[in-house]
Amino acid sequence: MLTNRSRADREIDEEVSHYVEEATDAHIAQGLTPDEARRRARREIGSTTTVREQVRDHGWESLVGTLLSDARFAGRMLRKSPVFTMVVVFVISLGSGAVTTIFSGMNAVLLRPLPGVVGEERLVSLRPGRTDGTTAEQGSYNDYAYLRDHANTLDAVAAWGRVSLAIATGDQGTAVYANMVSGNYFDVLGVRPALGRFFAPDEDRTPGAHPVIVVSYGFWKSRLGGETSAVGRTVAVNGLPFTVIGVAPEPFQGIYTGIRAEAWVPLMMQPQLRPRSNLTGASWLWMFGHLRDDSSLDVARQELSALAVARARDAGEAMTPGSAPAVQVAGLTGLPNGEGRGLMRFMSLLLGAASLLLLIAGVNVAAMLSARYAARSREMAVRTALGAGRARLVRQLLTEILALFLLGAVGGFVIAQLATAGLERLPLPATVPVTLELSPDLRVLAFAIGVSLLTGLIFGLTPALQASARDMTSRLRDDSPGSGLRRTLTSRVLIVSQLALSLVLLVAAGLFLRALNQGQRIDPGFERAGVMTASFEPESWGYDRAKARTFYRTLRERVQTLPGTVAVSYAGRLPLMMGSSVDGIKMNDGTDVEVHTAVVDADYFPVLRLPLMQGRAFRTTDREDAERVAIVNETLARKLSPDGNAIGRTFRFRDARTTIVGIARDAKYATLDETTPPFVYLPIAQQWQPNQVLLVRTAGDPEQFTSLIQQAVLSIDPWLPGPRMSTLERATGIVLLPQHTAAIVTGALGGFGLLLAAVGLYGIMAFSVSRRTREIGIRMALGARRSTVLTMMIREGLRLAAVGTIVGLVLASAATRLISGWLFDISPLDGRAFIGMSAVLIVVSLVATYLPARRAAASDPLKALRAE
Amino acid sequence: MGQEQPNTDVIQGTLDMLILKALSLEPMHGFGIARRMEQTSRGVFKVNPGSLLTAFQRLERGGLIDAEWRQSDKGRRAKYYTLTRAGRRQLDVETADWTRRVSAVARLLKAEG
Repeated sequence: MLTNRSRADREIDEEVSHYVEEATDAHIAQGLTPDEARRRARREIGSTTTVREQVRDHGWESLVGTLLSDARFAGRMLRKSPVFTMVVVFVISLGSGAVTTIFSGMNAVLLRPLPGVVGEERLVSLRPGRTDGTTAEQGSYNDYAYLRDHANTLDAVAAWGRVSLAIATGDQGTAVYANMVSGNYFDVLGVRPALGRFFAPDEDRTPGAHPVIVVSYGFWKSRLGGETSAVGRTVAVNGLPFTVIGVAPEPFQGIYTGIRAEAWVPLMMQPQLRPRSNLTGASWLWMFGHLRDDSSLDVARQELSALAVARARDAGEAMTPGSAPAVQVAGLTGLPNGEGRGLMRFMSLLLGAASLLLLIAGVNVAAMLSARYAARSREMAVRTALGAGRARLVRQLLTEILALFLLGAVGGFVIAQLATAGLERLPLPATVPVTLELSPDLRVLAFAIGVSLLTGLIFGLTPALQASARDMTSRLRDDSPGSGLRRTLTSRVLIVSQLALSLVLLVAAGLFLRALNQGQRIDPGFERAGVMTASFEPESWGYDRAKARTFYRTLRERVQTLPGTVAVSYAGRLPLMMGSSVDGIKMNDGTDVEVHTAVVDADYFPVLRLPLMQGRAFRTTDREDAERVAIVNETLARKLSPDGNAIGRTFRFRDARTTIVGIARDAKYATLDETTPPFVYLPIAQQWQPNQVLLVRTAGDPEQFTSLIQQAVLSIDPWLPGPRMSTLERATGIVLLPQHTAAIVTGALGGFGLLLAAVGLYGIMAFSVSRRTREIGIRMALGARRSTVLTMMIREGLRLAAVGTIVGLVLASAATRLISGWLFDISPLDGRAFIGMSAVLIVVSLVATYLPARRAAASDPLKALRAE
Repeated sequence: MGQEQPNTDVIQGTLDMLILKALSLEPMHGFGIARRMEQTSRGVFKVNPGSLLTAFQRLERGGLIDAEWRQSDKGRRAKYYTLTRAGRRQLDVETADWTRRVSAVARLLKAEG
């Protein structure tokens, strides 16, 4: 545009100078001297610059003027037909709302920068792994210290780990989710304190020396009264006195998206607060660093991996080139566990499905606009005849269309607000406090407007061009059959495509429903219903081993006396939580076998109703000082003794000879579609761990046990925070969450799409009826029965539906391949889903066709003949 | 104050029409149009180049005149304007309209009491 401007300017200058030349000549002809003539000419005309500005300003004004007049014209047109405007805006809002809602979710979980963190571009996550591709998400303290001391490509290295704390302020204790962090954690993240200060370098040097704590803004407001005097206060953390030294700024919540951290303590306090994770070997820390300005991801990766190899060599570790230690360096995101990739794929799929609905909406709107402009064709023709110019007309129409789509974007944004608010309130079957803010922000609004305008441009161009076609004569006359036919063909194609796209969405929903159904029916090997669970973390209350043991024993006694208790047991963790503990055993012939393990007590099997095929359950005699015992599942039993006599056999586990005393039936341990791994159950008494889950099988509804268990806990120690409780059914529901969500989303999208398509089909059928009024009248006058007429019209509609179904089935069979990963055992070409949804489509299309057809058949033939 | 100079500005709203009229006889460049108008109006109307060039741009945008750079008869490079068919139609419309209104004004001014 700038070059155009300067060219236009140069032309104006040239024209003005020519003007001056001619004027000078004229004055010379009147007898003035050349100089005089020139001077007078210049004076009359004024400076070139002024003239140029005058012309240019006028040009600008007229451009803005035309835009404004276009906008005003668009506004007037839209206001003249309010029903049409509202219907179109509503349809666009549906499509735009769907896409905006999904994008808002993506934004919240994956795209948004970490709140409160500064300089995220140079922050990287560090994950220890091996060159064969395996990566651990977390490292040990030693890993962190080594990187911290030796890395050159990083300015700074920080680490953090999860810890549960019980913070008592005054006389009330709260269990909070907190982070244990290296001293430079906040500095590296660029976070500044809202109040007080963050950790000083020497507060992270000596173990146990500095009991200081930083709290979150929310915690400070709700538990510390939000007063400045909170800084410097002493609070009891896990029973130990800690000093509050600062408050984090309001937006900052730690760097794990969705799980809000309420407090931060130095890593050096680990021996006091999380004694079982020793400060050296265990891998429980997430590490991240700040890239040096002159370095890059690849350079850092090379350097850090080389460091890892050197370190392993110094430690005398044997390694193969295919499996040497390495460090993965990637941009820091809010999902340290690498869930990002799978989640991104899932959400992109949902976004794709939502875009299908937007496509349907766009097609629908294009059809409506076409029909509308056909009705205004006389107005268009007159305007073109009066010299409006085709380009100008197209521009005006496009302004109208874009205005509609802009309103639709706003409507869609409102829908997205409501939808995300509803989604946020869905109870997640998670035992960790997940807090997600899905509501749309400015970026989402910009996205919504951009996508909507783009859709408007794509789908509005054809109707606008069609409407302004130069073919005036046929437009000034009434619908001649020739032009009408082509228009009908376009609308038929549009309807068929809408039907087809809706079918794709519906088939996807059907598949997800089938998968959900199957998932719920997959026998996990035990009975999920009727069990109440409660999780305890006595370490976070400051209980030592003896005290925790007493607590658990007393709690069991109290719960067992409750009315409705059938059986009570403890376990290290709940089954079907999508995670597993992997370990290894050594068989007697020296081979290592990888196994999954769980720590359970004697009553675990009766509580879960998981049958033991042979042998016995754990007994009270399986104590800490007794011989080590284990119960294995059938898969492992077969591996250990193919002849079937596993009872009494031994293997080595954690350097102890362990005897098999029972064989449990194979079950599902982590997810519903896993291949059954070799599994080892170990008795809690011999593999003590402080954090345990209480499982209670109840006679009636387990929900009613919530308050009873809570009371039991408080009766033992009134200072304890309430435990996290959930029925086993709900807690293990997390396993089916993706299918659940996807079924709802695609179902809703498909439903709306089908509705739009049905309305479009109704419209086109009604139009067809009105066009054939005379023909129908003739037929009926010649003796055709009403039912014949009805059949004739319905056949027309069914033909469209049939084509739409076929195209939809073809598209669906190609598309559903994308979701096969989430369908368990259901084939992506599952017959029931395909046929079922096709039937739905045909039935709806039948209804949409029947209504106008019935009107046609009911018309009076005389009136029809007279109609024009 | 002495006697005021007579107003030589073109009547508001008529510049476009007068340009179209000037071009209806033959294609011309800007100065030529201005001189033609001045001469034919016997000095009553004098156009300033700024308004003229602005009007050219407006008429060209509206598709009523076409512009082309050519060698003038004096050998200089000049921008020549031609009337388009749409412009000719517009001229007819506006001339008819103008004539109608002027006679109405004349009748109003002549009316007694």
